[in-house]
Amino acid sequence: MAEVHVIGQIVGASGFSSSSLFCKWGIHTGGAWKLLSGLREGQTQVDNPQLDDVAYWSHPIDVHFATKGLQGWPKLHLQVWHQDSFGRCELYGYGFCHVPSSPGFHRLDCVTWRPLGSWQEQLSQRFVGGGPQLLNSDLIYMGADRYRLQTCAMGTVHLQLAVLLRNFDRYGVEA
Amino acid sequence: MTHPAWNEDTGGAVYRSRDPICNLRIRVCLQRVTSTSLLLQQLQQPSCQPGQQLISLATLGSQNAASGYRPEEEEEEAVIGWQEKLFSQFEVDLYQNKSACQSPLDRQYHQDILKLEKSGGRKNYRIFTYTDHDRFTNMEEHCKRVTTSAQEAPSYLAERMANVRRRRQERKPLDGSVFKSRIVTWKPSEEFIKNNHVINTPMQTMYIMADLGPQDKLGHGDCEHVLCTIRVDSNGVITVKPDFTGTKGAYRIELEGEKRELWKYTLENASAVVQREEEEREQRVFKDLYSRHKEYLQGLVGSDFEMTLPGSLRLFINGEIVSAQGYEYNNLYIHFFLELPSRWSCPPSQQLSGVTQTCATKVIGKDRVAFFSFPFTLEVFFTQEDELEGSLPQWPVLYFEVLSLDFWQRYRVEGYGFVMLPATPGAHTLTVSTWRPVEPGTVSELRRFFIGGSPELEDLTYTRVPSTFQGDRLSRFGFRTETTGSVTFRLNCLQQSKAFLESSSMKKRMQSVLDRMGGFSQRGSLYGVLEAFQRARRRMQEARESLPQDLISTSTAQL
Repeated sequence: MAEVHVIGQIVGASGFSSSSLFCKWGIHTGGAWKLLSGLREGQTQVDNPQLDDVAYWSHPIDVHFATKGLQGWPKLHLQVWHQDSFGRCELYGYGFCHVPSSPGFHRLDCVTWRPLGSWQEQLSQRFVGGGPQLLNSDLIYMGADRYRLQTCAMGTVHLQLAVLLRNFDRYGVEA
Repeated sequence: MTHPAWNEDTGGAVYRSRDPICNLRIRVCLQRVTSTSLLLQQLQQPSCQPGQQLISLATLGSQNAASGYRPEEEEEEAVIGWQEKLFSQFEVDLYQNKSACQSPLDRQYHQDILKLEKSGGRKNYRIFTYTDHDRFTNMEEHCKRVTTSAQEAPSYLAERMANVRRRRQERKPLDGSVFKSRIVTWKPSEEFIKNNHVINTPMQTMYIMADLGPQDKLGHGDCEHVLCTIRVDSNGVITVKPDFTGTKGAYRIELEGEKRELWKYTLENASAVVQREEEEREQRVFKDLYSRHKEYLQGLVGSDFEMTLPGSLRLFINGEIVSAQGYEYNNLYIHFFLELPSRWSCPPSQQLSGVTQTCATKVIGKDRVAFFSFPFTLEVFFTQEDELEGSLPQWPVLYFEVLSLDFWQRYRVEGYGFVMLPATPGAHTLTVSTWRPVEPGTVSELRRFFIGGSPELEDLTYTRVPSTFQGDRLSRFGFRTETTGSVTFRLNCLQQSKAFLESSSMKKRMQSVLDRMGGFSQRGSLYGVLEAFQRARRRMQEARESLPQDLISTSTAQL
């Protein structure tokens, strides 16, 4: 049994077309992994930056996993949402990144995309918002069916993760 | 006569303890340093320097007459527990009559003093304490002067802080349910602001005091002096100001007034030291707890870990295609596959190729960027067949092509590239530049613009060494390309092998051997130097002997 601690934060997001953003996040792991403590999913507050276009959430991530194998290394998936002045929520981007496998402190920039609808949908999106979303959110962290998707590039989510590994060297794993 | 080494450092010291604070004991020794005590000292231990003694006797003699010699007031020692109340003469006088008692605490003190009187008076004489509940503690914090200014008044903030401090005692422990139900208090009350606008570690204070008034006139408020301030917060942080006098000298208090009497005092930590057996038992309990917890975790997960076969290396890569930037057309997608050289294998379920989604670009700076964040996981094995073969293993290569798809579903090749999978474990971010083949002349470019399609590589491995290539020189003469954009990959590599296990243990073993060798080698080098010296000396002697005799004789004659 080897253990992984992930301690860090979702710092914020930049590069989105409008502010007032929040983020839903989750960590997906394979079957050999077990969550010992911490929360594996969550949602940040809505942040409305006043000057910059960077929304800061500083949302904590603190999870402790134990594993029997390397397969299914934790994957962090994100959804960035926009809340408009009427309180309606609109999807702004899906993002994904692997939890780094080397111990230490990592600054990660996680790029996001959003599904693109037909041109009628794009037109209506421009005026009233909304837009298509993924039916199954596992497509965010699975590569298999991605080719069916038509997406457009959105902003970037900034993460800071510190990874601590334990007992991996006991099983001959170099990280 | 030895001059006492005064401790001038009256700064506080911070201690941390996990023990309950009620175990804290402080021993205070208070002693008057006046002519009388010095005289007594010298009478008892005759000094070896009679001259000096005479002088000091003479200078101190005049004061001696002024303050009477009373052996019982020379020294006082007390062991004080945490928040233990020792009454001063002033307090005894005050609380004895019931009419002066107003608060419940006063009444409590009244009872205590009556009890004391019955049991034969108080034990302490000059040393007394103020506990956290006493009025002095609040007053002291409220009216504490920090400058020499005579008109210093507590500032607004100081008053507020004093309020806060007093409030802390009355405060009940927070229950989390209030905060869970509402995160933001939209209408904070005055009290709420006061309580929450400062760092809120509840702290308890205790003062050890001394009444340094003249012997027959004890109980005057202006003769009270603080010997020691002890603060303890709920996290077990103990602040003692001034610090315990360990090996350092005693502290001194010089009284104001015409006599300028001098007092010295020492502070000692007199808490009961934990017994050895108890300590061991505690350690054992902790060890037991930790091992239980470990067992519990192993029960949850299982203690085994998937291992590789001996003699094989498992390369495990968590990768993602992050982005593609700088391409001419919009709506990009990437097609990639992994090439495994000989002696590499992968489990049957492993996908070795993939296609990303089609992504419309956005403009960042000057570049048009497409974001994919496309995950892939590669798990491949390298099996070493014979160790004799000297050649390094070939490493797997990831080939990819970037394509664009337009509104009319025409696709164009945007670029080709390859990534050598990193041979070192760790996190790698790689940005790979790409190119695409062009045909000479404008016709093909026109065709590319209007109807899509462009020259393509039949075999993607041509970007590196073609798989069909045989020979000793690879020539691409006559092949024309154009630089296009770049693709960013993020690869997290893990390597697993039994050999690492052995080598890491080997490393440790080697280290210990080297450590042991270290001693030998040093001694060895010493021997080496000696030996070299001997050899040089022998050679010199030989050279001397081989010299012609007359040369030696002349040199001796000159000398």
